[in-house]
Amino acid sequence: MSPHATRRDFLRASGALVAGAMFVPAIRAQSAAQAQGAANVQMPQTAYKPVSLPKKVGAKPLVAQLERDELERGLKCACPCKLDVFTCRTTDFQCGISPAMHSDVVRLVEGGYSADEIVAAFSTVYGERVLMAPVKEGFNLAGYVVPFITLGIGATMLVAMLRRWRRESDAATPAVASASVLPIDGGMPAATDDELRRLEEAVHGTSRR
Amino acid sequence: MILLGELSLWVSLLMAIWMMTVSYAGGATRRGELVVSGERAAYATLFFILMASAGLWTALFTHDFSLKFVASYTSANLPKVYLFSAFWAGQSGSLLFWALILASFSAIAVVANRAKNRELMPWVTGTLGVVLVFFIFTILFAANPYDRMEWVPPDGRGMNPQLQNPGMAIHPPMLYLGWVGTTIPFAFAIGALVTRRLDTEWLAAIRRWSLISWFFLTIGLLLGMWWAYVELGWGGYWAWDPVENAPLTSWLCQTAFLHSIMIQEKRGMLRKWNVTLVIGAFLLSILGTFLTRSGVIESVHSFAQSAIGNYFSTFLILIFVVTTILVMTRLKDMEAKAELESMVSREAAFLYNNLVLVGIAFSVLWGTLFPIISEAVRGTKITVGPPFFNSVNVPLGLGLLALTGIGPLIAWRRASIENVRRQFIFPVAAGLGTGGVLMALGMRAFYPLIAFILVGFVVGTITQEFFKGTRARMRMYAENVIVASLRLVGNNRRRYGGYIVHLGVAMIFAAFAGFAFKKEFDISLKTGEVFKATDPFGHAWTFTSQGVSEFKRLNRYVTAVAFSVTRDGKPMPVLSSEKRQHVDSNDQPTFEPSTEVGLYETTMQDVYMVFSGMIGPDQAEVRLSFNPLVWWVWYGGMVMAIGGMIVMWPQAEKKRQGGYVTVLRPGSEAQVPVGAGVS
Repeated sequence: MSPHATRRDFLRASGALVAGAMFVPAIRAQSAAQAQGAANVQMPQTAYKPVSLPKKVGAKPLVAQLERDELERGLKCACPCKLDVFTCRTTDFQCGISPAMHSDVVRLVEGGYSADEIVAAFSTVYGERVLMAPVKEGFNLAGYVVPFITLGIGATMLVAMLRRWRRESDAATPAVASASVLPIDGGMPAATDDELRRLEEAVHGTSRR
Repeated sequence: MILLGELSLWVSLLMAIWMMTVSYAGGATRRGELVVSGERAAYATLFFILMASAGLWTALFTHDFSLKFVASYTSANLPKVYLFSAFWAGQSGSLLFWALILASFSAIAVVANRAKNRELMPWVTGTLGVVLVFFIFTILFAANPYDRMEWVPPDGRGMNPQLQNPGMAIHPPMLYLGWVGTTIPFAFAIGALVTRRLDTEWLAAIRRWSLISWFFLTIGLLLGMWWAYVELGWGGYWAWDPVENAPLTSWLCQTAFLHSIMIQEKRGMLRKWNVTLVIGAFLLSILGTFLTRSGVIESVHSFAQSAIGNYFSTFLILIFVVTTILVMTRLKDMEAKAELESMVSREAAFLYNNLVLVGIAFSVLWGTLFPIISEAVRGTKITVGPPFFNSVNVPLGLGLLALTGIGPLIAWRRASIENVRRQFIFPVAAGLGTGGVLMALGMRAFYPLIAFILVGFVVGTITQEFFKGTRARMRMYAENVIVASLRLVGNNRRRYGGYIVHLGVAMIFAAFAGFAFKKEFDISLKTGEVFKATDPFGHAWTFTSQGVSEFKRLNRYVTAVAFSVTRDGKPMPVLSSEKRQHVDSNDQPTFEPSTEVGLYETTMQDVYMVFSGMIGPDQAEVRLSFNPLVWWVWYGGMVMAIGGMIVMWPQAEKKRQGGYVTVLRPGSEAQVPVGAGVS
């Protein structure tokens, strides 16, 4: 620790250490579980679970083929490929799961079920993990909004900081002398700087001064 | 040679420990002989890691299947080029490859700084030693490529067929060069923090390294996209997979740094922020390796996973804690008088750009980690796939694209209303004109339309900058247009090279937007049957099956289907797609069958064909797709690389250093290097 470190610095560093220590066990538990899964690359075909519902009376397909393809893109294949059903069934020739899941989708479409009902049926059987993107509700909302909230906080802080800098700049002595020697582009000798300054004036119609 | 290689790996650990310890001791005691000894240890470490690498390559080329690594990733019938690239096909080899690149970079950094940055160098060398010790230690105790088999098999398992692709032979080295390249700026940042020399000296030392790292990461990412597109048969080039996201976050962080470094060079501002970005880029590279290699997050591309996760997580936390303490205790040393004359200025635009770049990096990292967070909080496993990433990152990406066009149009220090109006007229007209034409052609999709409008705006900005600059030179120096434009770029490499990079970015965004209009068809054809389709541009295509053929080639059995093709009645090249079953030298199947896609590429669209399977003896199931504007991804990437090379060109650096003058601003303690770059 530096001799300049304050008690506040020490507390900040300790906080980071504690947060890290809390995070490690969760990561380790995940790591162990995933390592076991990874070792068994060939997921047993029992990973497939039939999704079937009784055909609706006078059922007519409500989902067109393009919409059905889109629906399959939103469902994760239960094999270890991590792809969606639509992509997996033409990519992984050994996979017997994605064609079976595709057949279930086709049967449900023919049974008169809507896209939302089909997705719900798959979620009931396989759990939320079958969805390629989490449902926008409950804790999952954090997944969607945290990046924007963080960005919003960052933008607010940035604007506040820029305003503060501008106030300080306005209050300070005008730095005329320094501005006059600033180049308009990187790394050029003085003669080139002058040439480029004139060029910049020609380009932007404004001096850097 | 193999035994020598194994022993060399152990000796390299000792050398790296010496390098770390003696360099830090030299820095702390200011004893020159210790510093020199540490630097020599860097050369020695490189020598022994080279020996260790040569040993592994020897084992690969001589098919020494007594080594687990060789038996796991190669076979006797593997083509020689892939015997070479097998070095990084598996976990332990890729870690050794990482150590090899790091040792090489360390030695180069030491040589390049023999006569400069002497205050920093002991700490730089010592920090590089720390990272080397970590990697060599991990290799030796968790993932040793020299581990032996209990018995020697007659042949190896072979290489995953998906890795038997020229792109995959080059892609990992490029990515590693980029990732490892973040270590040198990180080491300089540590040196600057420890010695409290946090002015622009250390930035000058790392600018080239940062550019090199960014350049290789760019190429690595693009090669990875190309490989995924032609090899995996998904029909796409980006799947928001953790393996893709990890280098992307590091790349975004570096891109932010390459912009914000200019503010510090020119105005002496953002010292804390720049240190944070450099440290962040390094931590993200380690985190990325941890995420993809530990198996903590499922990845489509994770070809090798083991229990190195604990090593990486420990190292990550250690580095995070140490750097946090260092930064926190040096905050006062990084205070600089910040001046901003206007919220509408190039400086402010760079900061907005940094905000969006880091925001995207955060959102990508957040999405990558969200399955872990969700499971920790709710105990429920969820999947975070492309729909999630697209919904979050597409708006942010468009914001970044807008800033790419806005930034260059705003003057440094303060932009007047007249200046803004004059500068924006043409680019805005170009953007709106693009949008108008596309709407007239019937495009209504919101995000793609916005993306194309912004692409038009950015291209308008770049065109205007080149046009005005060239015209000014032609007037002032009576040069012809070619000489004027070449000299404009040659004399302002950083600025105009940066614009060329922006052009590449715009091309890639156009490709992303175009991909939204992809059309796919699942078809099943017997020999002689015809399928008709209309592409997104309205052309009528016919595909006639020429039948399915089966044959053996090199190390694989191939089943192929071929289609004769016409577009608007005119014959086009035959399209064929293969299903390959790789076999070992005993003709036994090794891996699952893989795909070779059929591809017909034009600047406007690719016709992409994936052989899915067979129904009966001659009926082929195929997925056909028209993928618009994919070409623009690869060529946009090349344009970015060319722009990057122009910015990095050594002569520009030499001139820049020669042009440095330090002036003190009135009323400011910040030393401002004159001659520092502005783009």
